[in-house]
Amino acid sequence: MVSIITVENINKSYRDVKAVQNLSFSVEPGSCYGFLGPNGAGKTTAMKIIYGKCTRDKTPESIVNVFGYDPAHDELSIKFLSGVVQQEDNLDDELDVVQNLMIYSKFYNIHASEAKKRIKYLLDFFELSDKSRSKIRELSGGMKRRLVIARALLNQPKLLILDEPTTGLDPQVRHLIWEKIRQLQKQNTTVLLTTHYMDEAFQLCNHILIMHKGRKIMEGRPTELLDKNIEKFVLEILNVELISKENREKAQKNIRIEDSPGVMRYYSNDISVLKDFADSCMESGNYVIRQTNLEDVFLRATGRQLHD
Amino acid sequence: MTEVKTLRYPPLYIRLYSVWFRHMRVYTQNLLSNGFPPFLEPLIFLAGVGMGLGGYITDKIDGVPYIEYLGTGLLVTTAMFTSAFECSYGTYIRLEFEKVYDGMLAAPMTVNNLIVGEMIWAGTKGFFFTFAVLCVLSIFKIILIPYGLLAPFVGFLTGLMFASFSLLVTSFVKNINHFNFYFTGFISPMFFFSGVVFPIENLPDYIRPAAEMVPLTHSVRLVRAICTNSYKPILLLDMIYIVFFIMIFGYFAIKRLKKRLVS
Repeated sequence: MVSIITVENINKSYRDVKAVQNLSFSVEPGSCYGFLGPNGAGKTTAMKIIYGKCTRDKTPESIVNVFGYDPAHDELSIKFLSGVVQQEDNLDDELDVVQNLMIYSKFYNIHASEAKKRIKYLLDFFELSDKSRSKIRELSGGMKRRLVIARALLNQPKLLILDEPTTGLDPQVRHLIWEKIRQLQKQNTTVLLTTHYMDEAFQLCNHILIMHKGRKIMEGRPTELLDKNIEKFVLEILNVELISKENREKAQKNIRIEDSPGVMRYYSNDISVLKDFADSCMESGNYVIRQTNLEDVFLRATGRQLHD
Repeated sequence: MTEVKTLRYPPLYIRLYSVWFRHMRVYTQNLLSNGFPPFLEPLIFLAGVGMGLGGYITDKIDGVPYIEYLGTGLLVTTAMFTSAFECSYGTYIRLEFEKVYDGMLAAPMTVNNLIVGEMIWAGTKGFFFTFAVLCVLSIFKIILIPYGLLAPFVGFLTGLMFASFSLLVTSFVKNINHFNFYFTGFISPMFFFSGVVFPIENLPDYIRPAAEMVPLTHSVRLVRAICTNSYKPILLLDMIYIVFFIMIFGYFAIKRLKKRLVS
């Protein structure tokens, strides 16, 4: 399939900080492509380069192609075909919900009567209809977020860029937003998403790219990332004192041990091996055995220390 | 490449209009508190000069009574103040606190469009504020209609001048309190030394060139000529000054703000 976004070898430096280094990826139409990474990994910068809010370093080998346009020359065409949800809810506080959307419909040159229909549809879609005449100040965080997403959808974009769409929202709103993103995908909207919620990436994305310190460190389908990069199960012991030193090292060869402050983790593809090991050195109830998830892959790839 | 909508992004004039529309919409949202004071201000001025100050100044200035002299100047100072405030505090708040521009720049719009739209809006406010003063002063027969009807256009140009300059100042500002220097050090002195309150001919010779260099002097000369219907060749120089001022400072304002808006 032909890609809707092709990015090759892009770099972005701010003075002495290299925000993005040698990043390449391509996005297929209709897919949901997720950028995962700790704070400051360069996810947002990569998004901004795509819609022209940020200019990439001028290197001859760098390519950015979105719908056949290069944002360095054709930002207007790209923005016209895309909807962008930035990290901050930059709504006009003095206006009400409908007025906020009407202003943006002008930016896209949508005829007023058509805009009204579209706004009605979008407010309905995001379950905001009864708030249509509310001031922005009266909205909760989740409502504002839904409104910002609705605003990005005014021009029926082919590409929806979501920069941490659910950060700080309660579970109900997160699930609602996920549901809407899935619906949009069914309508063939391509979605580009950044997040540091692993479950969000797992739920929504067909393809995930893990970034760290400006670089791509891993990419692939979510299940593929799990299969390739981590054992199927993990045994976690939160009370390290419960297990004696010789017992700690007693673990068999096909168990990988990760010793981080306060927590011991034993990884294996065979759940029974972990179970036997755990039972041999402590009482049940003092440990947890679970399936590994994307968070384990992520932490293994980016390390457990803070990155801020 | 995949199939792309055949529709094109909006043409330039629509993009500029949409920025203007955004500001207009926000401004008219509080119609009473935004629209009423421009009419109240000249009334206060009239009361102050008419009941008090005017009694001390019985001589004519440049052949007109003092209330008319000061009143015509007020036509453009009001445009100066509204535009300078809009494009300093207003712009800074939209830029740094509300992040309104970030959202707008995600729509099909360039930084140039955004800033030029901003300037046109400030010009419009200048037009409206001058118009408000004109309404009040013409009711009291201080400015004569129809001559004065052109004054709002000078208000528009004044608005553009102070928009471009204030935007350039804003591009340097990292802390909103720094605007205090701009207003106390530049805008307020201009009110007193640009021929609004007294003729600049009365200034000492060594200060006079400075008065000729600042923008308000040229707006004042233009608007007075219009209100008194006495056109002189020097006005052509004033017009040229105004046009160049807008273009040069507007250019640098856009250039510098672009660095702040697109990283």
